[in-house]
Amino acid sequence: MKVLVAIDESEESFYALQWAVDDLLSYSPAAEENAIAAVTLLHVYPPFQPFIYPSGPGMHLVYATPVVIHSVNKAQREKAASILSRALTICTEKNVKAETLIMEGDAKDKICEMADELQVDLVVMGSRGHGAIKRAWLGSVSSYCVHNLHCNILVVKLPLGEGKPTGSK
Amino acid sequence: MGRKILVAVDQSEESVHALSWCLKSLIDCRDTLVLLFAKAPLAVYSATDSTGLPVSSSIIATMEGYANEMAAGVMKKATTLCKKLNDEVVVETIVEHGDPRDVICEVAERLKVDFLVMGSHGYGLIQRAFLGSVSNHCAHNAKCPVLIVKMPKNN
Repeated sequence: MKVLVAIDESEESFYALQWAVDDLLSYSPAAEENAIAAVTLLHVYPPFQPFIYPSGPGMHLVYATPVVIHSVNKAQREKAASILSRALTICTEKNVKAETLIMEGDAKDKICEMADELQVDLVVMGSRGHGAIKRAWLGSVSSYCVHNLHCNILVVKLPLGEGKPTGSK
Repeated sequence: MGRKILVAVDQSEESVHALSWCLKSLIDCRDTLVLLFAKAPLAVYSATDSTGLPVSSSIIATMEGYANEMAAGVMKKATTLCKKLNDEVVVETIVEHGDPRDVICEVAERLKVDFLVMGSHGYGLIQRAFLGSVSNHCAHNAKCPVLIVKMPKNN
């Protein structure tokens, strides 16, 4: 069985990975051929828009210089690498073999695309891809994937803290 | 130390597929499987039925009896499937009354299950292209992780 875990910089997706490694990948079904064979950790970063809107007078589009574009791309790749190395550490601690994949683009589209291309059996994701959405709602990336993926999907939410007010029902 | 997994079953083909996928590809022999059937309350509240005759209590009793029989039938089919595919796993069954959306989330929390498995249709009538309203609701509102099993598309 092939599993794809979608990772980004949020706490939720690392919690989902940790949960998957502890409660899913450490167990194996009775039939050997159904055991989890391959885990792919996918990180998608948004594409850099190479134009800048200045806020001063005479506001028109200014294109970033190649130097700026190059340094932003480099920073994005470094950030992606560090996120995935943290994710890989979580896997190797529990002896789970995983490979990493970095893509650029819209997270929800890329996740669905890679899930189809790699023919995975299960996609695991946290409930929020981007940190801005309120805790009460499923994040827009996971919501989109739940509707559009053709394979099975496991959505892991962060447990609510003790004493914190619960989200709206 | 096995996990406790709640599987929501109903009479649809999708939930049978979810249960059999779960048994074949997910369940370890140490796990406990809890099968939950949520019986939606009967929607008959009017004093007369469509023919204009008053709805008597015996009609309601018959409908209740039918619903109970269906629940028992679904449960029996599900437990037989469990025994057939993986007879070492411990299976428990629960039949609850109420709206499946709320019942499933509430039972998952009450039993403190490790995660919840459901097919992609809660009610059998919703078009194949869309995620059933029950599974969508539970994916949003259940406190535990939710695994939604989709039927493979027939190409």
